[in-house]
Amino acid sequence: MSTQATETGAIHRSVTVECSVEHAFSTFTDRIHEWWPLDTHSIDVGETGSAPETVVFDGPGGRLYERTKNGEELEWARVTAFEPPTKLVLAWNPSREEGPHTEIEVTFTAEGDSTRVDLEHRGFEAVGEQAAEMRQSYASGWPGVLASYEEKASG
Amino acid sequence: MDALGDPTRRAIFEQLRRGPRAVGEIAGELPVSRPAVSQHLRVLKEAGLVTERRDGTRRLYRLDPEGLAQVRRYFDDFWTEALAGFKAAAESERRNG
Repeated sequence: MSTQATETGAIHRSVTVECSVEHAFSTFTDRIHEWWPLDTHSIDVGETGSAPETVVFDGPGGRLYERTKNGEELEWARVTAFEPPTKLVLAWNPSREEGPHTEIEVTFTAEGDSTRVDLEHRGFEAVGEQAAEMRQSYASGWPGVLASYEEKASG
Repeated sequence: MDALGDPTRRAIFEQLRRGPRAVGEIAGELPVSRPAVSQHLRVLKEAGLVTERRDGTRRLYRLDPEGLAQVRRYFDDFWTEALAGFKAAAESERRNG
């Protein structure tokens, strides 16, 4: 179907952190507001130029969302698997509008006193036919794309 | 790929994220000439980020609808940055217990 398999295939990232699996998992989820770059990657910053108040991970409730300064809750993802402290899966579509989503799976594996965190972001090809709408939703709801490019470009 | 390494091209790319535009419209919002805009558009086209089509007598430029790869590239960069922040937070002394 796709001739761009390498271009649209899953993204894999791994990072080893010097802490327990439990702590790594809770940092990724409950404490996401402590590390997520809200000032460049949020819906609010794209619409108003400034970061939202916070980002909230509500695993049991099945949602990941930002809370804007106006108190609005803008959803980034549905939590489709929540298995502390080892696994998390998100259906990812940070936008005000319904649209195609990609999938993010994060697993946490103990390695001695450390924890290996493996992140897979997949499903880009699955929404291939809706690429235009998807990018549209990113354009309207997920700006900051170029900030990332800019950092890379000027690095 | 350095197509977006130029600030003017990034500005053009930003404009096209809001919808298709003709060269004149793009140039109207930027402090550069139409020929300069055309040249930048050529670079963006060659990078697969932008396509053009005829609309009557005009040529309209828009982001490549097959450009899903852009979204992927974006996340490729993004996760590197975000996980570095995550690692710092996980290893910081600020533990909530």
